[in-house]
Amino acid sequence: MDGDGSTTDASQLGITGEYMTGGHFVLQAQDDEGEEGLNDHDDGNGSKDNFREQDIFLPIAKVARIMKNAVPQTGKIAKDAKECVQECVSEFISFITSEARERCHQEKRKTINGEDILFAMSTLGFDMYVEPLKHYLQKFREAMKGEKGISAVTVSEGMGEELADDTFTNQLPAGIITADGQQQNVMVYTTSYQQIPGVQQLQFS
Amino acid sequence: MSDANMEEKVEQATSSKTISLPISRVRLIMKSSPDVSCINQDALFLTTKATELFVQHLALSSFKNGSGKETNTLSYSDLANVAEETETFQFLTDILPKKILAREYLKSLEEMKKEDGNL
Repeated sequence: MDGDGSTTDASQLGITGEYMTGGHFVLQAQDDEGEEGLNDHDDGNGSKDNFREQDIFLPIAKVARIMKNAVPQTGKIAKDAKECVQECVSEFISFITSEARERCHQEKRKTINGEDILFAMSTLGFDMYVEPLKHYLQKFREAMKGEKGISAVTVSEGMGEELADDTFTNQLPAGIITADGQQQNVMVYTTSYQQIPGVQQLQFS
Repeated sequence: MSDANMEEKVEQATSSKTISLPISRVRLIMKSSPDVSCINQDALFLTTKATELFVQHLALSSFKNGSGKETNTLSYSDLANVAEETETFQFLTDILPKKILAREYLKSLEEMKKEDGNL
């Protein structure tokens, strides 16, 4: 990563791997400033060409909030821990995706679907996520269907209101022009069918 | 529908309580994997949601692992430790190397050189 004073790349340190004992080590600057990287801002074009695979991260503020809600309320989170989890997240996504893609490829399909993702989780040791995820997916699907449903109705059934069965309005056109060209003042009466016993229906022609 | 439209629909359908990470960014990361062509909507949603669960899981595990050493603070080293000790998080060991101070590293380098010299 640029600009944060530490590197994990052995070649950049000017030494070969043999000098590292046991696990991996990285040099740490005395003061870990941990400035926020460009991945916290939306660059707008969303082009992946400008970034290496490992440079695309989720916004640190959102990641940090999830972390904060996960730990006990009095707990704090170090800044370098937040940045680190940000990187871990990208790694996790890539990890799941490549496994899912592998399965997809084996089954000769081109589109990665939900099943592939769930299968990948299971395979990679995240099977504890699978049940909650299925539940969330169901809620998501219902919500999306609701959205689609509303828009479908407004498009196809937006014409006119439904007439109630028990009323019937018979409207005559107003402004009848008589043969001699003069517009007569015509009173238009509408009748509504009401079954009033004993009363004859008045009809106007 | 176009990507932007889908994003909007998803945002509307899922309230802020359901999903709190940007789906578009998740898709970007997924697409940066080699040979990934199409990702369906379910897959995208599941990955985004799983990522949230992952963050919670990682943060809590690291915090629990570390408490007692640090004063109620989740530090980088807690994360590095949990990656090494927990099988589920072992895929992270490459990106979570344990940090040492430069002077300590140089000291151990010196010592190694001495050992080489003695052979």
